[in-house]
Amino acid sequence: MLIHIGCWVCVVQIHFVILINRQGKVRLTKWYSPYTQKERTKVIRELSGLVLNRGPKLCNFVDWRGLKAVYRRYASLYFCMCIDQDDNELEVLEIIHHYVEVLDRYFGSVCELDLIFNFHKAYYILDEILIAGELQESSKKTVARLIAAQDSLVEAAKEQESSISNIIAQATK
Amino acid sequence: MEQLRTIGRELAMGSQGGFGQSKEFLDLVKSIGEARSKAEEDRIVLSEIETLKRRIIEPDIPKRKMKEFIIRLVYVEMLGHDASFGYIHAVKMTHDDNILIKRTGYLAVTLFLDENHDLIILIVNTIQKDLKSDNYLVVCAALNAVCRLINEETIPAVLPQVVELVNHPKEAVRKKAIMALHRFYQRSPSSVSHLVSNFRKKLSDNDPSVMGATLCPLYDLITVDANSYKDLVVSFVSILKQVAEHRLPKSYDYHQMPAPYIQIKLLKILALLGTGDKQASEHMYTVVNDITRKADTSSNIGNAVLYECVCCAAAIYPNPKLMETASSTISRFLKQSDSHNLRYMGIDALSRLIKLNPDIAEQHQLAVIDCLEDRDDTLKRKTFELLYRMTKSSNVEVIVDRTIDYMISINDSYYKTEIASRCVELAEQYAPSNQWFIQTMNKVFEHAGDLVNRKVVHNLMHLIAEGFGEDDDAVDSQLRLSAVSVLDHFLFT
Repeated sequence: MLIHIGCWVCVVQIHFVILINRQGKVRLTKWYSPYTQKERTKVIRELSGLVLNRGPKLCNFVDWRGLKAVYRRYASLYFCMCIDQDDNELEVLEIIHHYVEVLDRYFGSVCELDLIFNFHKAYYILDEILIAGELQESSKKTVARLIAAQDSLVEAAKEQESSISNIIAQATK
Repeated sequence: MEQLRTIGRELAMGSQGGFGQSKEFLDLVKSIGEARSKAEEDRIVLSEIETLKRRIIEPDIPKRKMKEFIIRLVYVEMLGHDASFGYIHAVKMTHDDNILIKRTGYLAVTLFLDENHDLIILIVNTIQKDLKSDNYLVVCAALNAVCRLINEETIPAVLPQVVELVNHPKEAVRKKAIMALHRFYQRSPSSVSHLVSNFRKKLSDNDPSVMGATLCPLYDLITVDANSYKDLVVSFVSILKQVAEHRLPKSYDYHQMPAPYIQIKLLKILALLGTGDKQASEHMYTVVNDITRKADTSSNIGNAVLYECVCCAAAIYPNPKLMETASSTISRFLKQSDSHNLRYMGIDALSRLIKLNPDIAEQHQLAVIDCLEDRDDTLKRKTFELLYRMTKSSNVEVIVDRTIDYMISINDSYYKTEIASRCVELAEQYAPSNQWFIQTMNKVFEHAGDLVNRKVVHNLMHLIAEGFGEDDDAVDSQLRLSAVSVLDHFLFT
């Protein structure tokens, strides 16, 4: 029996986020409720089956094991967030879109390849938008600023490294 | 074309440097992308796991390399394989002073571990230290980890520091600290019960994101004890009014709506505070009507806000004007014949208003029937839920018969069980005659007998044994006969 912490009454409780492509390949998974590795595999398999086989003009919401899966297709990728029955599905559909818009802004016209080769960045961004399964930040500007601050650390560190290695290279000539 | 894009991207990444540099990882991702079957993909991943197992225990691995190994492990687990041999290395990375290494370590442990994992004990000290860091980005990384990895037992170790961070100069830190306290409340309400005043104070934080975050714990607290927060009704209404009037910075606009996610949170809170309370509700009517008027009906988020307004109207003390507004919102949703999403939200909203205004379903009868017969299963099921809530003695036969027909067509046993139970419940509650009751139960058992609760079967047997209290013995025994033949059918097939 797949369990989830359904007893917390929250403003919105997202149990997990899954990104898969049309072939069912996983591009990103984030779990906010307890699921063992085995359960996760089962969840992904079942949800992929449901979502990938749904016709294009139907609801973006699907019943699944007493929960609701809200999903949306963007080019070759399906973004899926799982919520409780009583939550506002339309709002969650837009939370997905909010995440996609931030990704788009960050990568500059994001595509599946960006997420494949930079999945760790997709996680850092997701961690600014959702936290503990709830919406954390609705301002794209704020998310972008935080990610930029983190990225500038990366740049600064690289510069430091390259300048150090230059010094070493000079010294050992 | 696709190939060119890949090469171009590789070149770009090579010049960017950073994580994307390793050819090994690129090759791994490419080969998995080109795998023609799950079996082939599994083989590649398992081989990668063997490689990592060997290399990760080598002595003197450069930190950059270890960082990459950990990312590869994250990737492997994302694909459904076990990388637990690497967890300890991720934990060690969180201890590192270099923020890049530390950050990768935190990312990895929040993906690998859950709050009950044995390794948490090795991270708590680091988290405690990092929460006190001068670098707010380190504090943020630690708070992210707190929101994922702290459970009831470890709350005391970090609570004092997190409470202090609620007043940190950086808004990102304050926001995350509040979300952390919210999570502590969910894990152990008593651990933060003395901090409620913090949440109240942060409602008036200068930063809208911090204010928005505060609504999360407040919502939970109000759910449990609305009375203690009635004094905040006026504040919430005032905030909602200001938000709707575009008084927050433009960066909180989303698709031309002013801070709609915050509007939605506030509407949910008001719904709780106004339930059964005429006085509290009276403060809310104007603002809810205004928001309904202002909301953008052409966007999803606008309709999400409108839906929330209807939910609020349905929950609080009823008001005729608000009911009318809610009803027209529902009409508009149901009329969108090309939007399954909106019709779905309309049916859901309708079932919330049913209690207050039973006639409202009749007004939308045709639209409801259309939804019932739609090929979209999600919409159909939502409509059956509406029917379930609309059932009374006068319509129970039609509704239950229709529901059973649908139940027969369902393959999904989870949902079939739910529908079967609903039919039984309605039959027991509203059955117009014993004959109909028996026939209905028979149909349910015939098609979902193995799914129906044992207790229900026993109740039925009991009923038959006791008789139905009919005065006419002939009728009674006739019913018993038909009941027995019915049960005989499903007991012995």
